[in-house]
This record gives sequence, structure tokens and C-alpha cells, in this order.
Amino acid sequence: MTKALTYDSINVGDAMPTFTSDPLTRTHLVRYAGASGDFNPLHHDETFAKMFGMPRVISHGMLVMGITGRAITEWIDDKNLRKFGVRFSAMTEPMDLDDPNSKARATIIVTGKVVEKFEEAGEKRIRCEVQSADGLGSVKIMGSFVAAVS
Amino acid sequence: MADKTKLGMEFPPYVFELERGKIAEFAMAVSQKENKSQIKQIYADSAAAKAAGYKDVIPSPTFATCFALWGGAGLMPMIQALSINLGRLLHGEEEYEYLAPIYPGDVMTGVTKVVDMYDKEKKGKPGKFMEFTVLETEIKNQRGEVVIRNRSTLVER
Repeated sequence: MTKALTYDSINVGDAMPTFTSDPLTRTHLVRYAGASGDFNPLHHDETFAKMFGMPRVISHGMLVMGITGRAITEWIDDKNLRKFGVRFSAMTEPMDLDDPNSKARATIIVTGKVVEKFEEAGEKRIRCEVQSADGLGSVKIMGSFVAAVS
Repeated sequence: MADKTKLGMEFPPYVFELERGKIAEFAMAVSQKENKSQIKQIYADSAAAKAAGYKDVIPSPTFATCFALWGGAGLMPMIQALSINLGRLLHGEEEYEYLAPIYPGDVMTGVTKVVDMYDKEKKGKPGKFMEFTVLETEIKNQRGEVVIRNRSTLVER
């Protein structure tokens, strides 16, 4: 679980632990659609995706952000998260269950590092950059978060 | 084509009550788990959350995405109101600022405003544009305190 982070022990340049997701399947996308309420058919209906020239459904960007958030909160306590923002830079396709080679494109790997230590609103905070990429190196998300650290 | 005359418009407020079941369901979805016992317990178990220093279970970081989608009219009417072509819609950016903790039973009221609309020429495709719509939402709890600020950028490719 979460290792106790302290403002004095953490330094700019320190990496957050790398997080690797399970390969995303269409079932994960359906579960996320139901949980979030985002029923854009692009995320579950292949016939709709094909109408727009895409070979298959794609993940919700917000699911990849959610996975990124999970990676962050496995490192810092949820209650210390102050800001979390991302830019989406590529679409993520789920794996095809009949093609094990498609696992890499559907696996999200989250990395990050501390870029700033500062005081704000009367507390000590760190700013970290995060990146989420698939197993082939395609970057899906570039983002940052701010957390309070005692 | 997003309707640029919608710049500055406010959507009707949505109201969303935080429920334990939805909080756990959402955490299961982003954690890729099929069972409540497999996720971080502060999202599912009140006693575990209290032991970790929370008043009750809390939602995971991106849970606020549910507020408008389940508490409001849903995605489609919003997209239609902006005249955005669903098949060309991409999510550009998303940002949350967390100002106060929220718990089951809290009632969220959110007002979303269209704060920017602009075009950007596609790389290597002169004369072809991507259209951007930026939405900001201030989310208050039942006591009128702002608990989350949210900024979303939608893109039409």
C-alpha cells in the first residue's frame, strides 16, 4: 500500500511507481460505460465505429484517465489529491480475445515524476507529471497532478 | 460542426446524489475488477474508509464524470445542444480540482458553462480544422460549498 511520503524526503525528479493495467477488453469498456453513464456507441458498438472509418470500438478516454488516477492513488492517499488534469493524445483500442498479439496495444502503463515542490493554500504540495502509454509506446495521456504532502 | 453561437451558454443544473453502490461500481470499472472485495477498500467499505481517516467511503478521483452523465440529461442531449457530430467527437482534455471531500448522501449540483470555442488547423492538412469546445463546471454540495471544479475540452475531428 501507500508508502509514507514526506515533503522533506521527496525530491524533484523522483519517479512514482510504474503502474501496468490489465489489457483492456470490450467487457471492461461496457462495464465502464454502465458505471460512468457514457454510452457513446463508439465505445461498445462496432457497427457505429465502422460508420466513421474505425476498424473497431475504442476505449473511453475517461477510462484511461481513471486507470491513471488509480495509478496515482496507489502512490499518494486519495485525500491528498488536489488537482488532476490530462490531455488525451491517442485513442486506445481494446484487445481482440482471439489475438494475443493485441494485448500490448490495450495495456496501459502509467509513469510519472515529481516536477515541483511548493507551498500553496497553507500546505506543502508536490506537482507531478504523469504519462499513460500502451505497451507499444503510443502515448495516450499526458497530464499532471498536485498532491498535499506533510 | 459545433455551433459557435453556444459560447457562453449554461446548461440547466444537474443534481446527483452520491450513493455507495455507484461509488463502488465506478471504482470497480476503473480498477478492472469484477468484485467489490478486489478494489481499494476506501471505495467500498465504510469501516475500512474510517480506519484510513475518512468519514465514510469516498469516490475515486475521476468519479465526478458520472455527475452530469447520470445526474443530468446524459451525453447525447448535451452533444446535440452544441450541434457536435457524435461520430467525430473526441475527448481533448479533462481536469479536476478537488476543494473538499465528498461522501455518500452528499448531493452534488453542477452548472456547466461553455467557456471557449475555437478551431485549430490540422497538422499537415491545410484548410482542415479540428473544432474545440471547452466546458467548465462548478460543483457544489448540499451546503452550497464548491467541492470540485471541472474543465473539459471536447474536440470534433
